[in-house]
Amino acid sequence: MRRSLKCARLLMGITLLTALACTGAVMAEEIKIGVLFPLTGGAAAAGRELRSGAELALDIANNAMPDINMTMAKNVGIKSMGGAKITLIFKDHEGNPTLGADLAKKLILDDKVHGLMGAYHSSVTKAVSAVAEQYGIPLINDSSTSPELTKQGYKWFWRTTPHDVYFTKDLFEFLKGMTEGKVKGLAAVPKKDITNLASACEKTEWGAAVSELIEKFGKDYGFEVKKSILYAAKATDLSSEVRSLIAVKPDAMLFASYTSDAILMMKTLKDQKAAPKLLWGQNAGFEVPEFVSTLGDTTVGSLTRTVFIPKIAQVKPVAAKINAMYKAKTGNDLSGASARSFTGLQAWVHVLEKAGSVKPADIQKAANAIEIPGDELVVPWQGIKFAASGEDIGQNTLGMGLIGQYQKAADGKIDLEIVYPFNVATANMIYPFPKF
Amino acid sequence: MDILLGSIASGILLGMVLSLVALGLTVIFGLMDIVNFAHGEFLMIGMYTGLLTAQATGLDPLLTLPLAAGIGFLLGVLCYGGFVKYLLRGPMIAQLLGTFGLMLVLRNIALLFFGSEDRALHHGLLVGKSFDVGMGIIISATKLAVAVLAVLSFVGVWLLMNRTKLGKALTATALNRQGARYMGIPTERMNALAWGIGGATVTIAGALIVNFWSVNPYVGLIFTMIAFTVVALGGFGSVPGAFFAGLVVGFIMEIPGFWDFFAITFNISWMDAVPMTSFKYTWIYVSYFVIMLISPRGLFGWKQ
Repeated sequence: MRRSLKCARLLMGITLLTALACTGAVMAEEIKIGVLFPLTGGAAAAGRELRSGAELALDIANNAMPDINMTMAKNVGIKSMGGAKITLIFKDHEGNPTLGADLAKKLILDDKVHGLMGAYHSSVTKAVSAVAEQYGIPLINDSSTSPELTKQGYKWFWRTTPHDVYFTKDLFEFLKGMTEGKVKGLAAVPKKDITNLASACEKTEWGAAVSELIEKFGKDYGFEVKKSILYAAKATDLSSEVRSLIAVKPDAMLFASYTSDAILMMKTLKDQKAAPKLLWGQNAGFEVPEFVSTLGDTTVGSLTRTVFIPKIAQVKPVAAKINAMYKAKTGNDLSGASARSFTGLQAWVHVLEKAGSVKPADIQKAANAIEIPGDELVVPWQGIKFAASGEDIGQNTLGMGLIGQYQKAADGKIDLEIVYPFNVATANMIYPFPKF
Repeated sequence: MDILLGSIASGILLGMVLSLVALGLTVIFGLMDIVNFAHGEFLMIGMYTGLLTAQATGLDPLLTLPLAAGIGFLLGVLCYGGFVKYLLRGPMIAQLLGTFGLMLVLRNIALLFFGSEDRALHHGLLVGKSFDVGMGIIISATKLAVAVLAVLSFVGVWLLMNRTKLGKALTATALNRQGARYMGIPTERMNALAWGIGGATVTIAGALIVNFWSVNPYVGLIFTMIAFTVVALGGFGSVPGAFFAGLVVGFIMEIPGFWDFFAITFNISWMDAVPMTSFKYTWIYVSYFVIMLISPRGLFGWKQ
């Protein structure tokens, strides 16, 4: 009797172990995440930022750094998987959707990655998300903002960054605030002074979506969009586009541009002596370090929406700490791009920790259930919680944006100052935009 | 009215830039019956020459022009002596595919050395300067410099071809290579010279263009396409043809501006809604297609 009981226990033990091994709950030695960014091409500057941000987060996740107030800094690797470490496999999609999709397939089939992250350009992310959906591999998107991406009803796609509906609404809330005298250091501006708008957006997935949103919100908020231009980001010359904008004599010029076209646009505006009262960029090209290092004083007074401005460090200690580490590593402050890729990987770490396995189904379940509190993030969001159902499935519901203005400090350095949300503004707004 | 005059002025300037880009292509074709697909890559090399020299030496980009011309001349001569000379022995298709291969080689060498990132010049005597002449006409100093260079280059090449002994030798070689050789003209050297002139005119254009447009290893393609349209419109091999056709293509690129003029002046709302700027380059290719359809010989006809 006792012998058979012993046998039964042994058998049970073996069965349990086998079951554990099969579910993958026993540690995976290495968790591979494929990361797709534009490391060369027109957006390479942003690509470098994105890569550095993700690498810094990886460093923190794979090593214990108890002095950082983040869950992922407390452990070595993924604790629920026995301390398994994460490896990032970077691929360069050059801003090309077809190449992005091919690389995603390669990462899934050849490198056998457990998950994907990327891809910055909304057009590339769209192509990559279709591949991820086809193969049932989880994709966390950190920095693409076309609203369409989370409207596809995909089950394997999650997005940490707020999208352009949030950002464009912010812009119009800001313009409305200007007319109501809510902007720091600025008396109420009569609405007729800023009512005429003109926009120029690059014509792929992202820019085209922004252009439509500007028209939609413009109408909703009672502004008049006099001209909406879509242009090729790879264009060599933008003078006819700029002339077209100037022709309608807009009060505010609004842009959605990647890096090289944002710089060319500003140069051409200067060349053509454009004189808007307000100049706003939808992030991307308008907030990479090259924008200021290349154009210098020309940028002073221009606005950009973003999700990270180094001044946030004044109110968020964890952001100050990570920003200092990032600056030591790269020489630059965190930007909207690097802060978001950092946060994207941070979300991955939380998802893996909760899943306790690399099985796609477990990751999917965990991603739909996680909730990261805002005080762990470098970005000024309330946290990360993905919508598990509804129209915007996979979208982080707790994100928000900032609007910054380039201003010159007394030491001659040009920095972004927060002008929106109004309650966290760090400087008086420069208005109107100084003449080129 | 402002936008109309502004677009006309911009079209003229842009047209002169484009005609300078196309000059080398038409010279090489006119003298040797070879279509050089690597033409845009020569321009790209000129752009990198201007950019890197100015950045490395701290000199004003304008001072890099002689160097760019020298490098372009050498590149042209080397390409002829080391490559094209052998292609001439083969059929026409070998010449077409050969220069196409040359294009791929040059582009990938540039990728290897310079990477695929966009690079641009941000400092220089003319960079970022423009003059407001009134009535909506704003002239960018850099484009004006290219326009002046274009006029000088066209006059120079035309004088060389029509008023010098060397030009006569080049023309003789182009018309009848064997006959020219019997007359004691060193035809091989003449061919190399044709490639040298073609290379020098386009690299010098590149070194100036980089003052206002950024460069990456792929930039050649769009310029090759535009140069082909210019040369097809002007008539393959015709030097004055390339100049006037460049102006026409410059105006074609300004179609969105003219469109805006009509939309605004006559307050036509449906015109406002048409996204003309999205199709800016489309019109160039459409016009190329139409030219090929109705007048394959172009405005000034092929060389006789």
